Amino acid sequence: MRVSDIFQFALASLAGYRTRTILMLLAMSIGVAAVVILTSLGEGARRYVANQFSSLGTHLLIVLPGRSETAGASPSTLMGETPRDLTLGDAEALSRSRHVRRVAPISVGMSAVSWSSRERDVIILGANADFIDIRRWKMARGRFLPRSNLDEAAPVAVIGEKVRKELFGAQNALGQWLRIGDYRFRVIGILGSSGQSIGVDTEELIIIPVASAQTIFNNPSLFRILVEAKSRAAMPLAEAAVLDTIRQRHQGEEDVTVITQNAVLATFDRIFVALTLTVAGIAAISLAVAGILIMNVMLVAVTQRRAEIGLLKALGAPGREILELFLAEALSLSVVGAVAGLLLGQLGSLVIRQMFPEFPAFAPWWASVAGITVAVVTGTLFSLLPARRAARLDPIDALSRR
Amino acid sequence: MIRLQGIHREFQVGDQIVHALNGVDVEIDTGEYIAVTGPSGSGKSTLLNLLGLLDRPSAGTYTLDGTDVTSLTDEQQADTRNKKIGFVFQFFHLVPRLTAAENVELPMTLAGFPPDERKERVAASLADIGLAERAHHRPDQLSGGQRQRVAIARATIMRPSLLLADEPTGNLDSRSGAEVIRILEALIELGITLVVVTHDEKIASRAQRRIRIVDGGIETDVRVQDNAR
Repeated sequence: MRVSDIFQFALASLAGYRTRTILMLLAMSIGVAAVVILTSLGEGARRYVANQFSSLGTHLLIVLPGRSETAGASPSTLMGETPRDLTLGDAEALSRSRHVRRVAPISVGMSAVSWSSRERDVIILGANADFIDIRRWKMARGRFLPRSNLDEAAPVAVIGEKVRKELFGAQNALGQWLRIGDYRFRVIGILGSSGQSIGVDTEELIIIPVASAQTIFNNPSLFRILVEAKSRAAMPLAEAAVLDTIRQRHQGEEDVTVITQNAVLATFDRIFVALTLTVAGIAAISLAVAGILIMNVMLVAVTQRRAEIGLLKALGAPGREILELFLAEALSLSVVGAVAGLLLGQLGSLVIRQMFPEFPAFAPWWASVAGITVAVVTGTLFSLLPARRAARLDPIDALSRR
Repeated sequence: MIRLQGIHREFQVGDQIVHALNGVDVEIDTGEYIAVTGPSGSGKSTLLNLLGLLDRPSAGTYTLDGTDVTSLTDEQQADTRNKKIGFVFQFFHLVPRLTAAENVELPMTLAGFPPDERKERVAASLADIGLAERAHHRPDQLSGGQRQRVAIARATIMRPSLLLADEPTGNLDSRSGAEVIRILEALIELGITLVVVTHDEKIASRAQRRIRIVDGGIETDVRVQDNAR
């Protein structure tokens, strides 16, 4: 029998038993759609986190005070030393490396902020002029911190949108003097709202020169130093330069931790890929269930079509050909079901994207491929048993009944 | 062209062995018209199934056109059924979802003929039995007599040398039955060998040779020269 005839016959018999066919298509497409939608959720979560990180800027190194050892204690903790603080001097020194474009020292604290009779607690970020470019934030009005020496404690402040609203209401905030702790600062700019950026809400903070922050909090140590490398390729060189400089300045102790965005991203990547694979695995179970349903319905079909199978044998179809006919039916069914499921799944993730625009729920290509492959393979494998039963049917027995 | 020698066929029913055929020896020449009669359970259907290669004998040899077909593999037997043997059943056994033309086409499709040749031969065959205008009707849109004529067209589309009919008129009124018999007998003129299993004495009396089977053996085997058809 010709291959085209086999499939034509298979399709005709599928069209002939409509309820059965629709039932199996439904099972198959729901299974595939589940795989596509669930993996798109997992992948969406991964991309969401990746987007959050890329808002940090792409060639960013974060220098934290203290060595974070993941295995065992460092020599310094054994000797009872506490790690040295990061200082403005360290930041200065880092900015001199030729692999580094710019540096932003940061100190953080919480302080009471007041204007006229209004007061509230706000996160105070001590930074420098380069900070806004490194973090890729935008100004709404006014200007950012002026360029100056790091140790110059200028009384100027850039405030977040929500802080402005709560303190100043409808009045113009620019040029006003507000009180942070015991010091007075003049508002020179208002930050644009760029939303959440790794846990920092740009609307709810005040940025002042780092030296001013150190004065308010009476703490000369820095929270961290952001270092931007000259290029992505210069990242490893910059990292080495940072560690080198710190070692020299800290009496040979490498008592800082350098986090690159890539390392953090890679960790999140691994977590979310594992998550996506897990949900894909769960969805694959529904495909197996669909496969079993196909087997059941096929077994019923073989019983229903005994006379037809017997007749085909009498007309000269060997068992092998009967097997091929039934497998072709299962294969067509699986392919059509899988494609329908793929479309359904894509539609589902489109709906998710429409509902949550910031959540990029795109199914990864491998999930679509795997979903279809698993669907077709299970559909065909589970039909093997019914098809073999059909192939072995005794034609006399099959034909003797009406 | 057909030679059965010492054919036995036993079935296991529960713990008993039933002898459906007990040493049957028959020779059938090409172009013979044979009626097989006998009471129910005598073994005439078993004989027809063996002749049609739907069943294998427990003992004995079956030679068809000089080939010992009992030793063929399943695949070879299927091929022989396809090319040399046609079946006509009491209950027609048309595939309900296929049209008359598609039903007739089926053996050629199974044999892998190209679609053009199939269509041509099917159209000619349906015209021969006077059902050209019913080609695209499904079996449930055809009368019993028309269905059996479609079944005959299907059985002969591969131009087999042997046509086996099991109670071909058993499910038809006398007028349709007569028409079916007329078509079958016309095939003999074309050189086909026709074996009809029947209960109907009137039909059996038309055959040139009548084999009566009782208890798995041939009771009588009568050749009628110059029968009045």
